[in-house]
Amino acid sequence: MKTISIHSSRGGTGKTVIATNLACVLANRGFNVALLDFDFRAPSLVIIFSKALNSPVKYWLNDFLNGRCKEVQVLIDISNFYNLKGKLQVGLANPSVEAINNLTQKSQAWETTAVKKLFSLLSSLNSDMGIDYCIFDTSPGVQYSSVNALASSDVCVIIMNSDLVDLTGTKNMLKDIFDILDKKTVIILNKFSPENRVVPNKESDFAFKIEEILKHPVISKIPCYCDVLQAQRMALLAIERPDHPFVRKLEEVADKIDKL
Amino acid sequence: MHIGMAVREKNITDQSAAMLAKIIEQLKLLNEKLDSLNKNNDKLLKKFDVLNEPSIKASLNPQADVMTLLTLPASLRKTAMALYRFRRATADEIAKTTGRLRAVESTSANQLVRMGFIKKKREGRIVYFSIEPKLEDEK
Repeated sequence: MKTISIHSSRGGTGKTVIATNLACVLANRGFNVALLDFDFRAPSLVIIFSKALNSPVKYWLNDFLNGRCKEVQVLIDISNFYNLKGKLQVGLANPSVEAINNLTQKSQAWETTAVKKLFSLLSSLNSDMGIDYCIFDTSPGVQYSSVNALASSDVCVIIMNSDLVDLTGTKNMLKDIFDILDKKTVIILNKFSPENRVVPNKESDFAFKIEEILKHPVISKIPCYCDVLQAQRMALLAIERPDHPFVRKLEEVADKIDKL
Repeated sequence: MHIGMAVREKNITDQSAAMLAKIIEQLKLLNEKLDSLNKNNDKLLKKFDVLNEPSIKASLNPQADVMTLLTLPASLRKTAMALYRFRRATADEIAKTTGRLRAVESTSANQLVRMGFIKKKREGRIVYFSIEPKLEDEK
């Protein structure tokens, strides 16, 4: 099993759209994929996949981390709804204000238990449920839940927009967290357009410059597509329009991640 | 007779005045000592307040959460992070996860035990290490 964290230094970079569509791309290749919503401050997968949920969610990831359910009870299989070649199972974060408050006010001792539970969940996904890929959609910046997900991942994918604020934030985050955790880390430049680049250079040299500054490989430059922006986070183009250039970019990303 | 009585009475009055002065002096000393005790008490209470501060509390009860591990030297962090995968593990089992020598893991794990991040338990000839966070007042 390969565990992938999708992360960014700030919000609105396109983490969730990339995480959900990458999960669909992999499931459509016939793999058994688990997609976990680790953005406990602003859960969104429950909304994106609401149509595919047959019944009210019985157990949230919050319940698992709080010790209220077992590993196998937290995943919901939504493959049939989307008619995927493989399997797509989701672990959802509870969007209620009470649940968000509860999980954002935990002690260090609880966070230590949470990371142990997370490792036990991944072990169960791997050996009991036959998951091929586990993808974390994380909360931006330095949050306990995100850092826990990063610590337990094989590959960390940073989604970055080409602006100076994001570049500086990403650089600091790489230094303070990713490099210390010593994880395989790659960068995707999302919503990329030549006009908003921060390095005054030719477009072809841009990714190279970013790699030079951040010292991690840029595995994809995904242009800013109007239809992806219009559909916002609800866009499941990998299912609805598999030939869309955005999806083709994610197919390339999947190939590159597979080789890491 | 009258004169003798008067002298005696005067002596008694003088003695009483002297005793009263002594009592007042002792009371003043007692007061000073009580003030000093009060000041010490305030200092102690302030120290207890300090003990309740989150940072001090954390240093007295170290936790092996990921954020804390980020502040540790790489060698210790690697051992602690490998331990997340186990309920409990021997130095040998940790070494198989990290790919380092058993002796390195044993040294590192024992250092983490001394720092209070992990626990150590001997069962016969086997030594187990574990991360056992103490959960208090969690909902």
